[in-house]
Amino acid sequence: MSKRIVIDPITRIEGHLRIDCEVDGGKVVNAWSSGQMWRGIEVILKGRDPRDAWLFVQRF
Amino acid sequence: MRSVDGLDIAKNLEKQGVSRRDFLKFCTVMATAMGLPLGMGAKIAEAVTTLKRPPVLWLSAQECTGCTETLLRSSHPTLEKLILELISLDYHETLNAGSGHQAEESRLKSMRENKGKYILVVDGSIPVKDGGIYCKIGGKTALSLLEEMASQAAAVIAIGSCASWGGMPSSSPNPTGATSAQEVLKMKAIKTPVVNIPGCPPNQYNFLSTVLYFLTLKRLPELDENGRPKFAYGRLIHENCERRPHFDAGRFAMEFGDDGHRKGYCLYKLGCKGPETYNNCPAQLFGDVGAGAWPVGTGHPCFGCSEKGVGFTIPLHSPARLKFITPPANFPGIAEERGKGVTVAAVAVVAGVAGAALGAAAVTAKNLGKKDEGQADTETKER
Repeated sequence: MSKRIVIDPITRIEGHLRIDCEVDGGKVVNAWSSGQMWRGIEVILKGRDPRDAWLFVQRF
Repeated sequence: MRSVDGLDIAKNLEKQGVSRRDFLKFCTVMATAMGLPLGMGAKIAEAVTTLKRPPVLWLSAQECTGCTETLLRSSHPTLEKLILELISLDYHETLNAGSGHQAEESRLKSMRENKGKYILVVDGSIPVKDGGIYCKIGGKTALSLLEEMASQAAAVIAIGSCASWGGMPSSSPNPTGATSAQEVLKMKAIKTPVVNIPGCPPNQYNFLSTVLYFLTLKRLPELDENGRPKFAYGRLIHENCERRPHFDAGRFAMEFGDDGHRKGYCLYKLGCKGPETYNNCPAQLFGDVGAGAWPVGTGHPCFGCSEKGVGFTIPLHSPARLKFITPPANFPGIAEERGKGVTVAAVAVVAGVAGAALGAAAVTAKNLGKKDEGQADTETKER
C-alpha cells in the first residue's frame, strides 16, 4: 500500500515550498511540488507605466 | 561576564574573533543610532551579555526574503554572528535547519516555553482575501499563524514595507487582500504592541537598534503615528539628502545621463520621492561600504519604498508631492553675468594678493615638514 509523505515547509530556501511524496514499497512512485504563496504580481502590473515594472518584478 | 544558557557570550565572541572592545564599540554605535546618550552603550552590552538570550520567532508571510537577506548580507564584521549570538532565533523558515514537522515542532516548543516573552518578527504582508488561502505554511494560513503567534508574543516587530503597511503585494488592485501585521492585529483585537520598520528592504540597523532598545530598556522606542521608531523615521529623506543644496539652488538632472545627472544634481525632476518619504537612508546608508551607498547617492531617484501611499503606488517618474517647500517656477542663472568697469590695475592687485596668499600657504606647509600627496597633485596639474 502506498504512503503519502508531506514536507511543508521546506526550509533553507527562499519562499514557501511544499513537497508531497507518494512512497510504495520503499520507492517514490509519485511526487508533487507546490508554491504555497501567491501575490498576483502579474495582475498588479497590468495598466502600469512600463518603466515601473522592474520595481515590482524584482521583488519575486 | 556571567555565563548564560550554558555559554559565556563574551568568551564565545572572542573565539570568533570579536574582541570585548569591538563588542562595546558595536553597542555604542547602536546607542548612537537610536539617539541615546553615549553611556547607554555599556548598558546595552550589559543587557545582552547578562540576560538570557531572548527568544525570537520569525514569521514569513507574503515576502521575497529580501528582509532576511539584508540582515544576513550585512558586511559589518561581527553583525551576523552577533545577531545569532544575541538572540535565540527559534523559528525562521529560511534559516531553520529542520524542515516540515521538525520546523513546526521547534516553533511550537518555543511558543510553549516562552509564552508572553518572545519577540515575534513578521516579514511579508498577510493575505486576508478568500480566508487567507494565498499564503500557507505547514498547511496553516499565514493569517491564522499570525493570530496564534502574535497573541502570545511580548511584542511584534514588522520588518519591511509589506509587514508594515502592505507593501508591494498590496498595490492596486491588491489581488490577495495583502494586509499589514498591525491591521490584522487590529481586526483580531489582539493588543500586543507592534513596531513597524518599513523599507524595501529596510536598513538592518534600524531593525537591530529596535531589538537592542527593547532588550535594554524593556520597552519599545518612541514611535510616530504610523508605529515607526522616531529615531529612524523622524525626518524626511529630503531633509538629510546630500543633493539638497542642488535642489535649493535649482540645479536638476532632467534626464538620466545628461550633464546635470553626471554632475550629481538633484533628482527631483526624475521623480525622486525623497521630499515625501520619512527614512534615515542618507545618514545610515547601506551595506557598510562608505559614502554614497544609497539610491540617491548612486544617481537613482528615491522611489519611496518605505512610505505608505508613495512606494509601489505613485509612478516612479511622477514628481513627488512636496511636504514643505514648493520650488519657484524660475531660478536665477547659475553663472551670473560679469559687470564691466574693473581696471587692469585693480585686477593686478587682486591677483597679487591671491598669489601672496598661495605662497604663504606653501611656506606654512613646508615649515610643517609635510606636504600631502593630494596637494602636490593639484599643484602639478595647475602648472
